[in-house]
Amino acid sequence: MESVINTIVARPPAPGHRLRVVGLDGSESIDLSELHAQAGRLAAHLHSQGVERGDRIGILAANSLEWVLLDLAALRLGVVTAGFEPGKFEASDELLTRYDLKHLITDRSAKEIRHLAETGTETPAALPPPPCYEPTDTTTLKFTSGSTGRPKGLAASVGSIDSSLRAVQEMFQHGPDDDLFVFLPLSLLQQRYWIYSALRYGHDVTVSTYEAAFLAMRQTQPTVVMGVPGFYESAKKHIEARAAASNRPLEQEARKLFGDRIRYLWTGSAPASAAMLRFFTTAGLPIYEGYGLNETCIVSKNHPGAHREGSVGRVLPGKHVLIDPDTNAVSVRSDFPVNTRYAYAQPGESERMFAPDGTVRTGDVGHIDDDGFLYIHGRADDTIVLDNGKKVVVRPIEEAMKASPAIAECVVFCPGQTKLVAVVSPSHEPPDHEAIAVHLAQTNATLERDERIHKVVVASPPFSIEGDTLTSQFKPKRSRILDLHRAEIHDSDRGIHA
Amino acid sequence: MPDHAEVEHLKIEEAARRNLAPLLDPQITPEALDLDRDLAGDYGLTSLNKVLFLTAVCEDTGVALSRFTERDVARMRTLRDVTALLSPDAETAETAETAETADAAESEPAR
Repeated sequence: MESVINTIVARPPAPGHRLRVVGLDGSESIDLSELHAQAGRLAAHLHSQGVERGDRIGILAANSLEWVLLDLAALRLGVVTAGFEPGKFEASDELLTRYDLKHLITDRSAKEIRHLAETGTETPAALPPPPCYEPTDTTTLKFTSGSTGRPKGLAASVGSIDSSLRAVQEMFQHGPDDDLFVFLPLSLLQQRYWIYSALRYGHDVTVSTYEAAFLAMRQTQPTVVMGVPGFYESAKKHIEARAAASNRPLEQEARKLFGDRIRYLWTGSAPASAAMLRFFTTAGLPIYEGYGLNETCIVSKNHPGAHREGSVGRVLPGKHVLIDPDTNAVSVRSDFPVNTRYAYAQPGESERMFAPDGTVRTGDVGHIDDDGFLYIHGRADDTIVLDNGKKVVVRPIEEAMKASPAIAECVVFCPGQTKLVAVVSPSHEPPDHEAIAVHLAQTNATLERDERIHKVVVASPPFSIEGDTLTSQFKPKRSRILDLHRAEIHDSDRGIHA
Repeated sequence: MPDHAEVEHLKIEEAARRNLAPLLDPQITPEALDLDRDLAGDYGLTSLNKVLFLTAVCEDTGVALSRFTERDVARMRTLRDVTALLSPDAETAETAETAETADAAESEPAR
């Protein structure tokens, strides 16, 4: 089976496709064949400085051409990269030591890197032969949040990258007319996939800084946007507000934001709300949700050829989803696992995530339908077991309540293991109790008997970061909210009753 | 009677208020927005919403977003910052850097 990574390090792509890099202060464009040549010259320089196969270099920089050049140069040499997201990591000697880095390269070196890539020499003597990676070799260290706050480090295998890229190409058929748009940090390995894809399959790719994302979409008119739910939720709000203010159709405002050439929008990394997915589909921009963890890479994906609303798509070739018949817990086994343990983690974290055979315990619950579509119901932690033995996953219920314009957030509890109580944070102050009551009735009408919300407690003041009821990522703090509203939750006289 | 610069400033502030309000949860009217409250900490504006908000304000006021750098965006922490930086006479990071570079050109060591 062909290795995409081995192919792109071994030979230059045919000319004709480009990498564009967009920042707020300007953009630049380079043919992919020239990008390959420049990465080779940078690799020769790094090699001349003693950087060798198996070494590890850190890159702590905003999205830029230099980031891409360094990544490709490292691949060319067999050097492992560690991508650090600016703002989450600080450049320091301690970082070098902690992750065994030979060099740590930051934005400050951008000019020098560019100079070396443009003017350096790549002679046979200056570069060793291209590496021939085995599937279990690793090319990069990726980071994922850990239980202690310090990110866990996971080395990603070539086999997992290859199998994901092959599967994505089979599903989406990226081709010469495509321009894939990347604005999330290149420190996330999956964002670099689209550069590897461009080099192997022959299409354009545009990389922007986070701040220039919307400017870049207007300038370059991509065909595919690689986003996450938070990005699309923001875009939805913007489109709705602009359409309301201008009396123009949603479709027109959506095209104004994303451009006229969108073939599809990609979303993953976190659960997407049904309302958001439906919004974009209705606005003429097909959006495909998938499922995967850092530890599993892409497990399943909806795509134009196989798409089912509410699901996260069919399971990719080479991935095997195992559903526990008692708990509905989702585990994933891979023909080419990302890895079988963390490279950096607290004692016990690897064992909790990885079974002895490398199977990943995702912590999610779900099911697969008769046609092979995977549905994720929520986190195992979000599952409430009622005293009648019925399991209720609260996330979809909370999402249904949040569909009301009167409700900003909703957290569902089950105080007596019999009846569900929702604590909602209102969108407005004073809260619209009548609208909340109407929406409660509408939501309950769509739910099974055991899933129905018995009563709603309206939080006053609404959830906030300052009130310690929202995290810095604006997610409700479930246990804190329970503590604050315990009396109202348990008091049968208070609240809005169904 | 307000002068031209003041009129422009007020237009930018009005556009900023109008574009920020719909992005916030809980909702708040444009008039009730406090010019000095922190967009992220007080109003819960996510970084992506901030970028979208700035894109919309620039579009409505005819200011090129490309006039700013990523550093300028980071500096816009309140509505007052946004209004000030979008004003025609604002000093962006680029102009500030040019001035600083000119000042420091002779003393900066080569890397």
